[in-house]
Amino acid sequence: MGLQRVAIPWTEKYRPRRVSEVVGNGEAVQAFLEWVRSWSSGRPAKKAALLHGPPGTGKTSLVIAFAEENGYDLVQLNASDRRSAEDIKNLLGQAVRAASVFGRRRIVLIDEVDGLSTVADAGGVRAIASLIDRTEVPIVLVANDPWDPSLQELRSRCEMIGFRRLRAKEVLSRLEEICRREGVSVDREVLESIAERSKGDMRAAINDLQLVATSGSDPRRVLESIPNRVIELNAFELLGRIFGAHRFSEGRGTLANTDLDVDTVFTWVLDNLDQQIRDPQALHEAYKVLADADLHLRRATRLQRWELMKYGTILLSAGPGVIKATVAEKGGRFEFPARIRFMQQTKDVRTLADSILTKVTRRLHMSRAKAAVHFLPYLRLMLKAGDRGIARHFRLTEEEIGYLVSRAPELRVQPAEVRESVEERARPQAKARRAGTASGRSTGRSRA
Amino acid sequence: MTEAIPWIEKYRPKTLKEVINQEAIVTALTNAIRTGNIPHMLFTGPPGVGKTATAHAFARDLYGERYIEDGHFLEINASDERGIDVIREKVKNFARTIPMAGPGFKILLLDESDMLTAEAQHAFRRVMEQFSTTCRFILAANYFNRIIEPIQSRCAVFRFKPIEEDGVRQMVERVARNEGLEVDEQVVKELYRISEGDLRKVLNLLQTASVYSKRITVDLLYRVAGLAAGIEARRMMELALSGNLTEARKLLWQALYVDGVSEREIVSSMYSELFYLSIPETEKAKLFSLLGEVDYRISQGATPEVQIMTVLSALHALSGKRS
Repeated sequence: MGLQRVAIPWTEKYRPRRVSEVVGNGEAVQAFLEWVRSWSSGRPAKKAALLHGPPGTGKTSLVIAFAEENGYDLVQLNASDRRSAEDIKNLLGQAVRAASVFGRRRIVLIDEVDGLSTVADAGGVRAIASLIDRTEVPIVLVANDPWDPSLQELRSRCEMIGFRRLRAKEVLSRLEEICRREGVSVDREVLESIAERSKGDMRAAINDLQLVATSGSDPRRVLESIPNRVIELNAFELLGRIFGAHRFSEGRGTLANTDLDVDTVFTWVLDNLDQQIRDPQALHEAYKVLADADLHLRRATRLQRWELMKYGTILLSAGPGVIKATVAEKGGRFEFPARIRFMQQTKDVRTLADSILTKVTRRLHMSRAKAAVHFLPYLRLMLKAGDRGIARHFRLTEEEIGYLVSRAPELRVQPAEVRESVEERARPQAKARRAGTASGRSTGRSRA
Repeated sequence: MTEAIPWIEKYRPKTLKEVINQEAIVTALTNAIRTGNIPHMLFTGPPGVGKTATAHAFARDLYGERYIEDGHFLEINASDERGIDVIREKVKNFARTIPMAGPGFKILLLDESDMLTAEAQHAFRRVMEQFSTTCRFILAANYFNRIIEPIQSRCAVFRFKPIEEDGVRQMVERVARNEGLEVDEQVVKELYRISEGDLRKVLNLLQTASVYSKRITVDLLYRVAGLAAGIEARRMMELALSGNLTEARKLLWQALYVDGVSEREIVSSMYSELFYLSIPETEKAKLFSLLGEVDYRISQGATPEVQIMTVLSALHALSGKRS
């Protein structure tokens, strides 16, 4: 057991040097090559690519191998670097300018963009976006989960290239090759086990292999001592599993294998339901299953009877899939939850609406919920008709007035004689009553 | 332009004498003040009949104009508070001291007390007992039967009557005189009908209409009433029924998450609108039942949006089957 072997991590030592050595994900590799080559024939449509997928699937390796093989300079920024807007500008501002005629071509690689913490790396996303807007060289971003709302600005600017977990067979063949080159012999059974439990994460598999092969003790025992790498399904994979389940037995463990909390998963499933199940009757059944799941989950939480959680989680994990299977539909693409987007889009108006309610309920003896229904609709109409005195009474700002007016329906009135109009929205009995007024005028006198 | 006061504030009774339509209650409360024998009280009755206003008028008659400023009276709205612990804390702070002057106790009004869960009500009952030497409690609630028995039995119960047509007329006349409105008998009748005896609604309708025209016509009333039936439960249901579940859901989000409409309000509006939907009556049977289940589940802590979607998706499944 040479010391040197232990000194260099095998994950570095056997990192692919050429694109052809990158294992698996043929489509993604192809898409990347096409995109990066399009730079030599002028500007590509997207000046940046966002390689995304689970860890250890070759995203960063592909970029490094390509640069090495094709004589590009690689300018790299990692999560360990500080990445505030200022840092990004300082470190990369020069790098994105075109090289001189004699200079080497260049690729800028920003790793782990999903790890940009909004506080410590204030403005980081914005800075990267503006970097992309003015870059003259290819920029590659890498992320495990690119669907974080804060990355929206980046997604729209990037060629999105998705990587999948590697197949156990692909991992296995790479492990065998490493053993050959290291001159170590490890039972095939052990290698298979390492490949299997890596869940498609090559880095994890190679790390495990190095540990097993260099420990000097019984590989099986070593392997047992390594904690099983629990697969961390990201939201999209999770949806695939949930909507793909045909039996409830397939749903067991689905939620245990993710670090997403149940509420997040619930939102994702709820918001993808109507895209996955088109048949209205089946869709209704699916909403009912989710409502049942919700009931059990809430009840367990409220009563702190955690043993009751399982009824909710199993309904959530397999219910939608089982119903989808009954109508044999293919289902559309999975989408980022529309409700989360709605909440982001309405953030400002929600703040406004909230402050209005606070001001109004301070003066009226009503709860917020009551004021929302029993007073605000009238207030909107009064403001729309130009009554500013009432706005003054509640100390409403211009912005708040503007918002209320914008939410007010149109009421067209010609003061003395009000015409019949299509805007009639009173109850049917009211309509019937009005239908009796032949003249169509309202004089407010006898109408019998 | 000067400030304009909302009429529901402006025409709130200042003293018990000004309370409309609740003669028996006013007599009882006036006697209570005279004898100084003041029990815990439970005011029940439909919205807009004067429960909150009467509690304030009572306190003003008892303690004088500065009943709030001098710390005699506190109003807590159960629907606004985040649970019984917050309420208990507020009561504790309020009831800890007895003012030097006055009858030797304070009054605490717990408005919308039927918004508390049964568990929270039991906790509140203990709070009542703990502070009953220094504090009298008035609980206001729309529904008598949503108040747990142990509380009912500790309170003198006052059932507020729905405002009758004559009460509405009295109010409308007072307002019309004061505000220079032109209102005729037909308008009074329609106001009574539309408001179902809810004076808050009467005042809001009148004030809104008056911004458009000092001459209040029945037509104008209907327009305002139609447009102010704000929460759009009907549009939500119509959209689902016409096959557009996505838009229906967005309206639901708007109501729940932006406009601050309570889930209870949405469910009860859906109930009222269900009568008018053009779908086979036999389907309505299933929908009423489903809606009842949704209402119950929400009261048990289930997530309103998720539960309400079952009803909207049921309507969506009916699209095409409209009668």
